[in-house]
Amino acid sequence: MIVTGGTKGLGKAIALSFALEGAWVGVNYSSDDESGSRTEAELKGLATKSLLLKADVSIGSDVEMMIGRVLDEWEYVDILVNNAGIIRDKLLMFLDEKDWDRVVEVNLKGTYLCSRAIIKTMIARRFGRIINITSPSALTGRAGQTNYSASKGGIISFTKSLSKEMARLGITVNAVCPGIVSTPMIEDLDQETKSNLLNMIPMGRFGEPEDIAWAVLFLASEKAGYITGQVLAADGGLT
Amino acid sequence: MKEIVNNSEALCEFLKKMIIETLKLEGVTIEGIDSNVPLFRKGLGLDSIDALELVVAIEKIFNVIIEDEEVGKKAFASINALAKFIQKKYKQGK
Repeated sequence: MIVTGGTKGLGKAIALSFALEGAWVGVNYSSDDESGSRTEAELKGLATKSLLLKADVSIGSDVEMMIGRVLDEWEYVDILVNNAGIIRDKLLMFLDEKDWDRVVEVNLKGTYLCSRAIIKTMIARRFGRIINITSPSALTGRAGQTNYSASKGGIISFTKSLSKEMARLGITVNAVCPGIVSTPMIEDLDQETKSNLLNMIPMGRFGEPEDIAWAVLFLASEKAGYITGQVLAADGGLT
Repeated sequence: MKEIVNNSEALCEFLKKMIIETLKLEGVTIEGIDSNVPLFRKGLGLDSIDALELVVAIEKIFNVIIEDEEVGKKAFASINALAKFIQKKYKQGK
């Protein structure tokens, strides 16, 4: 399996969860070599086989090289998790073209490029799981995130359309929508902001990265073979 | 593979077998496919999703890449058209 943006945060939790289940895990990252090496070391202790894959998912040639390398080493890939994502939050009035483009390029175009590069090997084996990470921002909107929510909303529409193309070929395409996940960024917020956020979550707690990873694992499993084109929200009831 | 590609009749037969096996077409035989009949819609009744599987199969078997939909439309016009397309690609060194 390959998880993009897999050396930090949610992507890393997903990668480690798959490693624990016995999967061969390829983790992609774009620039932070230090977190790349750390995750690589952790994976070596857990996964039967692992690969650290440096590539910018918004660049077609980078993606083709990355997928090519994995196929050279492992022959095929059954599971792709399109997790790589960035934010450049600004109110629309102040949102310049550069920040719009970069967010859409990494989040949405990256999902398209990685999916396109992987489907041939999945079609050849008549089996595949593509799981795209979206956001509550795509479902409910959020001030300051027009670029991010548009990219994540695009991912949902992309998921639904690609699922129709792939359904007959044994490949499922779904999305997972994480809620507000406990990350250092959330932990650093002041108490008032944190309790405001917590009040929005019916379950009264932030999600743990593992909560989301379990949803991804389920959609990747054989048991989820009849589920495609869906958005599974693992968000404590937030949406 | 080169020997088959150079022999049009053998190549057409190979392609028919490949299509039947790849798409698991039930009740269709090699003899039952006319080499000049369109593969899609009214002819053999294939659709664009079947084409995806055939594109992958052709790349795997012949190492010939069908790079876009327009090329695919021409290549999949009929068994004969597909055979000619593969032969041309081989002549060009793929």
